[in-house]
Amino acid sequence: MINIEIDGKQIQTENGSTVIEAAHSAGITIPHFCYHKKLSIAANCRMCLVQVEKAPKPLPACATPVAEGMKVFTHSEQAVKAQKGVMEFLLINHPLDCPICDQGGECTLQDMSIGYGGGHSRYHEEKRMVLSKDIGPLVSAEEMSRCINCTRCVRFGQEIGGQMELGQAFRGEHAEILSFVSGAVNSELSGNMIDLCPVGALTSKPFRYKARSWELSRRRSVSAHDSLGSNLAVQTKNNRVLRVLPIENEDINECWLSDRDRFAYEGLNTADRLTKPMVKQDGKWLEVEWQVALEYAANGLRQISEEAGVEQVGALATANSTLEELYLLQKLMRGIGSQNVDFRLRQSDFSSDSKQQGAPWLGMSVADISRADRFLIVGSFLRKDHPLLAARIRLAVKKGAQANIIHSADDDLLMKVANKGIVAPDAMVETLTQVSKALMAEKQGAQNTSGEAAAIAKSLAGGQHVAVLLGNFAQQHPQAAQLQALAQQIAALSNGKFGFFGEAANSVGGYLAQATPGAKGLNAASMLANPRKAYVLLNVEPELDCADPQQAIASIKTADTVIVLSAYKHSAMEYADVLLPIAPFTETSGTFVSTEGRVQSFKGAVKPLGEARPAWKVLRVLGNLLKLDGFNQDTSEAVRDETLKDIDVTARLNNAIGGVEAKPSPAASGLQRVSDVPIYATDAVVRRSAPLQATSDAAPPKAWMHSEELKKLGLQAGTAAKISQGQGSVNLLAEVDDKLPRGVVRVATGHTATAALGAMFGTITVERA
Amino acid sequence: MKNLINFFKSFLLLEFLKGFSVTGHYFFARHITVEYPEEKTPQSFRFRGLHAQRRYPNGEERCIGCKLCEAVCPALAIKIEVAEREDGTRRTTQYDIDLVKCIFCGFCEESCPVDAIVETRIYEYHGEKRGDLYYTKPMLLAIGDKYEEQIAKDRAADAKYR
Repeated sequence: MINIEIDGKQIQTENGSTVIEAAHSAGITIPHFCYHKKLSIAANCRMCLVQVEKAPKPLPACATPVAEGMKVFTHSEQAVKAQKGVMEFLLINHPLDCPICDQGGECTLQDMSIGYGGGHSRYHEEKRMVLSKDIGPLVSAEEMSRCINCTRCVRFGQEIGGQMELGQAFRGEHAEILSFVSGAVNSELSGNMIDLCPVGALTSKPFRYKARSWELSRRRSVSAHDSLGSNLAVQTKNNRVLRVLPIENEDINECWLSDRDRFAYEGLNTADRLTKPMVKQDGKWLEVEWQVALEYAANGLRQISEEAGVEQVGALATANSTLEELYLLQKLMRGIGSQNVDFRLRQSDFSSDSKQQGAPWLGMSVADISRADRFLIVGSFLRKDHPLLAARIRLAVKKGAQANIIHSADDDLLMKVANKGIVAPDAMVETLTQVSKALMAEKQGAQNTSGEAAAIAKSLAGGQHVAVLLGNFAQQHPQAAQLQALAQQIAALSNGKFGFFGEAANSVGGYLAQATPGAKGLNAASMLANPRKAYVLLNVEPELDCADPQQAIASIKTADTVIVLSAYKHSAMEYADVLLPIAPFTETSGTFVSTEGRVQSFKGAVKPLGEARPAWKVLRVLGNLLKLDGFNQDTSEAVRDETLKDIDVTARLNNAIGGVEAKPSPAASGLQRVSDVPIYATDAVVRRSAPLQATSDAAPPKAWMHSEELKKLGLQAGTAAKISQGQGSVNLLAEVDDKLPRGVVRVATGHTATAALGAMFGTITVERA
Repeated sequence: MKNLINFFKSFLLLEFLKGFSVTGHYFFARHITVEYPEEKTPQSFRFRGLHAQRRYPNGEERCIGCKLCEAVCPALAIKIEVAEREDGTRRTTQYDIDLVKCIFCGFCEESCPVDAIVETRIYEYHGEKRGDLYYTKPMLLAIGDKYEEQIAKDRAADAKYR
């Protein structure tokens, strides 16, 4: 610790920190633009000039390290004169038309110019003009003349986003921020540049001219689109969500937000929102009162369970549903005597259910990821599935951690990957077994090992804090239980921790809410493999959310009664019997349990649209109509407290698995499917967000193959190919990805273009179209 | 004694004459009331009456939808919605003033960076039914178009004091 004095205040600060950090920690503000605590120091705006005793000139506080006995004056005559001078220079080229600027009212430059700007301008010459740029559907760079060249956006891209998509070109007065060859900013974290930009140069395109910051009311919320549980400020006006911003939480999302969380709100009030309960009669949809629809649903359930047996009723929910919704759904099902309830719709291997001790979770806190020094990431489209966790791992790797990857695709993770084993899905168990064996050999002091597995083992053995993490792909894998057991083994051998990247907002919460079938019931896969007579679907779009869309749709279409609780009119119009409009996460209160087991409750930000109602209320009334006990909760908090009453959340989180033996499967014949859920196809709201759907990440799915596979099939890159699986086939463009292993075709799921296909894993045929 | 004085006062009609002298004074003095509506009092160029939205000489509306008037309005009488026009400029899609709420403080005019919203000298307007005094953007622009000459003259007269 070092003692310094700022404005006469004695401050103790850490050696190596800068003057601006010391001042901020002591509550003294120093004006600044280019400095940001999460980014590297550029010291190019010069706004933070302060006077330091014995220094001949003012020094930039952001780039001046503290020294013992230093005396700093932030408001002395010299300092203020320097700051005012800098402000005058900044305003020379900055347009002074704040009233038409979208940043007006929340602009750092505007605020600072109140304190440091002059009352009039001494500059009468022509101002610099920078042409506007189109950098994609999310970030607007319409008014680049407003840029003050602080380079925060550039540094964000380099340091946090992992790829430099914006850069500063030219010098002096001609300096400007430009995008590179691609022209667009495609990063899945690009929205953070909007927050970082201290002026109105980079603004939100969907929010452009929609509202002023002072008109918006803020509500705290939690992200519903991935398992991190990012803290959100949902900003509303006239009962409509107009913008979503991050709320800083150092342990979760720091000060960032992924584009998916930031722009998904555009999908909330689309034309296909379901706003009135609907009942199908004689093949026609009728809008009816809630009472009618609910009684219709209750009667349907009662009838099927009396006539065909209660085991003929199955309930499916997505893991994006809140804890309360999942809890009441399973309570309803168990109340009528059925155990058939599940929320793990994309999972295909349920053999771990009886062998697992608790709810699978991250296995560590999110903050622990930053502290790990060796990673083994198995089966994860990391950047697209978990954008902010990927950014955390990227930073850890920058600080010296080693990332090892075992996966069936080799997407650019924008970080240095130490070792990677890119194998076909059916070889994943084998590869992981080899790593485990190599690790054992490594521990016994084996020398002269070679091969990828040995390299991974060597990397893991050299670490102090090892993290073995299973991604969405590994959880959806047909041998998921074996992968879990192997990960456990590897973590134990390397004295590390192992865990899962939760697939959706409430992947852990679903277990806590007991929305799993238990020993007697049917899980999601068997409910759809053995068609039931009645289905209750909560938030589910079967053709997009299930592991095997073909089978899911076929089974649901044969059912006598299908009760759909959905916020949208989707393909359910074809097979449902009653549609109950429910509220998406911004319109209901609820709770999400993040992948690290953090229980976060939130309130509704706006009133439900039309006659939609929070799903927990709908389920509660449905329980009453079925005359079940324990459906008298008045608030979602009461439901939450009931759900978690006898549960010690930390004790329930347990990845340990026993009694699973890793049996590498025989190599499959023919081509295998590798399927990812594209980043903007994960849930119903995201799929309807127009700006997200306009990004390059939401491009129509293609059939990606190694060039040799393509040659074998006699196809050419860029031509149409007929992809078939089971009964269905679709025509997609064939494309080359030489980083894929041989014998696989990568075809995305969760997209309408591939909804006719079958399971996410397994054989698939590709022919010339 | 007191009774005696009162007797003479009323006997000589003193109180009556006193009152009559006031009436007489005003009868012969210069008249300050005007015969409205035939006559009207003179107005300051800063008179704050009915609102108007102005245009530039080329016909382009001045308002840029910055919403400062909406923010400053103490009576919350102004409602604005903004969107991007086809040419990329920031324009209002809705600009309503509820004259029932308005207290004619002139803050909207004061806050306007482009002199788009102004208060004119017009005070002779009325509404016959509920909602008549809810002025929308086309109405405000029409007033501006009609009285632009006067408005411009008033702004010019006031300019040197600003």
